[in-house]
Amino acid sequence: MTTTANKRHTEVKEPHWIEWATGMVSALVVVATIAWVAYQAWTQEKMRPDFSIAITERRQTEGGYRVAFDIANKATATAAAVTVRGEILDGGNIVEDADVTFDYVPAESKSSGAILFSQDPGARELRIRAVGYIDP
Amino acid sequence: MNGARAERGNDTGGSRSFLIGLGRGAAGAMLFGIPMLMTMELWQLGFYIERWRLFLLLVVNIPLLILLAHRIGFERTSTFGEACRDATIAYGLGIVISAAVLVMLGDIKPHMPLSEMLGKIAIQSVPASIGALLGRSQLGGQSGNDDREDDGEEDGQGGGAVPDEISTSYSRELFLMAVGALFLNLNVAPTEEIILIAYKMTPWHALVTIALSIAIMHGFVYAVAFKGTHEISEETPWWHAFFRFTLPGYMVAMLISLYVLWTFGRLDDTALTQMLMSAIVLSFPGAIGAAAARLIL
Repeated sequence: MTTTANKRHTEVKEPHWIEWATGMVSALVVVATIAWVAYQAWTQEKMRPDFSIAITERRQTEGGYRVAFDIANKATATAAAVTVRGEILDGGNIVEDADVTFDYVPAESKSSGAILFSQDPGARELRIRAVGYIDP
Repeated sequence: MNGARAERGNDTGGSRSFLIGLGRGAAGAMLFGIPMLMTMELWQLGFYIERWRLFLLLVVNIPLLILLAHRIGFERTSTFGEACRDATIAYGLGIVISAAVLVMLGDIKPHMPLSEMLGKIAIQSVPASIGALLGRSQLGGQSGNDDREDDGEEDGQGGGAVPDEISTSYSRELFLMAVGALFLNLNVAPTEEIILIAYKMTPWHALVTIALSIAIMHGFVYAVAFKGTHEISEETPWWHAFFRFTLPGYMVAMLISLYVLWTFGRLDDTALTQMLMSAIVLSFPGAIGAAAARLIL
């Protein structure tokens, strides 16, 4: 408890047990947080961003064709301005390509987006890959 | 705005003090709301924030305002009903001021869809309404004897209704810290800088940030002699207050940070470590806000 007398605050001498209980729980949470971050600091090796892309949806849209995908970054480093390029290939020749840029793909996380083509890839090969990034 | 007194006073005096109160509320909403009203990310959040998260934020703001009004609105004299009325007025002021400023800034235009306009105003109304309440209490205190309130410590009984000693319950102390943390968090959380900082920091930076946040929190309240500084009685060891107030305060700041980040969609599809890093970054201003709230409110 805090007692406010004439605009001064003085903590009372005999606090309620609940104050100590809250204090203990908080101390545990704070210590756990610090321990977790410290563990990360010790064990985390320096890695480069490492992407994997999985197509989640292919769908005809009005005036085009949408290919939605998830991009996952398995590394412990975050990448910024990640450019992903989608290409429709017909026997090794690029028929159409389109780019999309992600502001961030955080470490050990995934982001999702879509590439819009003007035509249906159909049975032709569809290639989606990350072509570059910068360190944040 | 000072209802109890206003009703007793004659009509002109009553409505005048009510208008002064409204003016102070509006000034507070402006003062505390402007940084957010001029933040681009918050305009964008206005239309892309998930609607049920926005709804939750707007609903959570109601009890928060009522409790805050009860605590600071009319100092210690208000009843629950008056607190509700104050909270409603503050919320209303927050919405009106937000809408007016956004229209003035050309951020709301007639051709926009209604949901976009409402989203933008709604998200701004939360900090603005807190500002309206704070403005009322901080820009002069009570309308009748407002000027004497600040400087006169012996004025305790002078106001007639202000008791010279009150006890702040523990839960209320934590609540004030939460309000302070929430307020500063809403200021900085929507900006891209928070996540960018979290990405740039190594775990070592994070550890230093935690230590510094806690130290600042404790120092703000107990060591540096600001007005309203809390005193620990002589025979109480310093770590008593550290365990009972500072650490729970930091935990509150962390939880509020996580809530705000979640509301703004910054935690979606993110790994635990990254969530924690953003929360640690955001808890730094949150901790300062929490400590300041204990002193100011």
